[in-house]
Amino acid sequence: MSDYAIQTHDLVKVFRTRWTRREVRAVDGISFAVEPGTTFGLLGPNGAGKTTCVKMLLSSVHPTSGHATVFGLDSRAHKARIPIGYLPENHRFPTYFTGTGMLDLYGSLSGMDAATRKRRIPELLELVGLEKWGDVRLGKYSKGMLQRVGLAQAILHEPKLLVLDEPTDGVDPVGRIHIRQILQSLEAKGTTVFINSHQLGEVETFCRDVAILHKGKVALSGRVKDLTATKGFRVVARGVPEALQTELSGVTEGESVIFRMPAIEGANAAVDQLRAAGCLIESLVQTNSTLEEVFVRTING
Amino acid sequence: MIGVQTLALIRDTFREAMARKIFWGLFGISTAMILFFLFLLRIDVVEGGTATMSMFGGNGREMEVERLVRGVHGSIATFLYSIGMFLALFASAGLVPSLLEPGRIELLLSKPVARWHLLLGRYLGNVLIVLANTTWLVTGVWLIFGIKTGVWTPQFLVAIASTMFLFCVMLTVVFLVGVLFDSTALAIMAPVALMIISPILAQEKTVVKLLSSEWARSFWQGLYHALPKVFDIGRMTLNLVRHEPVESLLPLWTTAAFGVVMLALAVWHFERRDF
Repeated sequence: MSDYAIQTHDLVKVFRTRWTRREVRAVDGISFAVEPGTTFGLLGPNGAGKTTCVKMLLSSVHPTSGHATVFGLDSRAHKARIPIGYLPENHRFPTYFTGTGMLDLYGSLSGMDAATRKRRIPELLELVGLEKWGDVRLGKYSKGMLQRVGLAQAILHEPKLLVLDEPTDGVDPVGRIHIRQILQSLEAKGTTVFINSHQLGEVETFCRDVAILHKGKVALSGRVKDLTATKGFRVVARGVPEALQTELSGVTEGESVIFRMPAIEGANAAVDQLRAAGCLIESLVQTNSTLEEVFVRTING
Repeated sequence: MIGVQTLALIRDTFREAMARKIFWGLFGISTAMILFFLFLLRIDVVEGGTATMSMFGGNGREMEVERLVRGVHGSIATFLYSIGMFLALFASAGLVPSLLEPGRIELLLSKPVARWHLLLGRYLGNVLIVLANTTWLVTGVWLIFGIKTGVWTPQFLVAIASTMFLFCVMLTVVFLVGVLFDSTALAIMAPVALMIISPILAQEKTVVKLLSSEWARSFWQGLYHALPKVFDIGRMTLNLVRHEPVESLLPLWTTAAFGVVMLALAVWHFERRDF
């Protein structure tokens, strides 16, 4: 039995076009692990292989080689999907169902008995703020409401692992905060949350661990706090001669000039040069990267 | 768990069929036919029919009425088997591609349901929709004629079994084409093509005599035996409805085998396919 909620081993997916058999290597040897009860963000630019990777975890795409496990079970076995709740990107729920009807359908498919469904569905509709919309057909729902009822569908059977593909896509800012609160409460209860998203700010706020995919490979992975730790140092000075500003690659901001140094030694040397030139040092601070900066640096090499 | 899931898949198929007006369309046609026969009997077609028969030398009212009822039953069985089958296939052809729509299939596959179960659940739902309508039409007409004429010929109910048997087989073609190409149009064309060529292939004995090449004769016979024998089973149904003997049950077995192979291929491809 694996100690991980998700574990992938050298996953590879090669798509071949139907007639020409031309190959596209969407995922090229991905290995990562997600600990139970944690929040994990899968990041990457468009075409990096994120969605294919998620689909392989859920077995809607078959790996060309390698394998994945979910709580120790081979992800291809349908039993491995019992503890999973999933909200796909660009989902298309059957619009002929009401919110309640749709939840009842997917609850049944998740193996929930009738009594449990009857108890859980009103609870979930209330949780996502749609208690008055349960009897309305999904065709009448806005995009944000569909996203919320989709989240309700994903957590209806109290899954141990929640896989979310762009969970706040199309949701207004208040709705986003609401969804984040729901996810935080699930995390507090021990649910593992796996998010595939372009919303780097949200992932940075919510996820403990991330993996950044690029061209089908894991380009960077680790804890968010480690990846965004000490980017360097920032020196702010006034009265900087133009030649020195150019030499130290300073950027003018109002009356001040800002210098960014990757290491403490460089920051000290810059301060010495600035002081020797008679400049006024306003501040010297250690800076952190944002996840967005880490992401861009990783993708741009 | 498997029972709850199967019921959910059947219910989903019914709800979709109702939303797409498929169920109501078939139900409406069946009901219109029942009402048509009710209207005919109200103007006393039976009495008129027997009177006509008597004029042309028929004797014995009971025998004539029975002949008339059998004739009507035979016509309805033929209608069901041909036009009804086309309508049912047209109505069903979109139910596989809609299941495979991006955004829908991924969510279904993320549930703890085996792929074969997902596909067969939809197949079963589709069969039950057509079974409900066929049963409604056949039993409705049977009851109307039985009550009016006192002639109860249970052989007419064979039309339900034979129509459903053929529908089950042709639906496997719809499912195979559906999972292969995601195309409603192709899913209609393939079984309809098989139905159209069946009467031609059924002339096997005559055609084989006309063909000079051994290869061509083998090819024709191979096609005849491999493909569903829509025409032969239709003739068999008509014989049963009319209380006439059936020559051979072989067309049933070979057609059933064809259906099993098509369904197995559909499941096999569905299991392997990426979404």
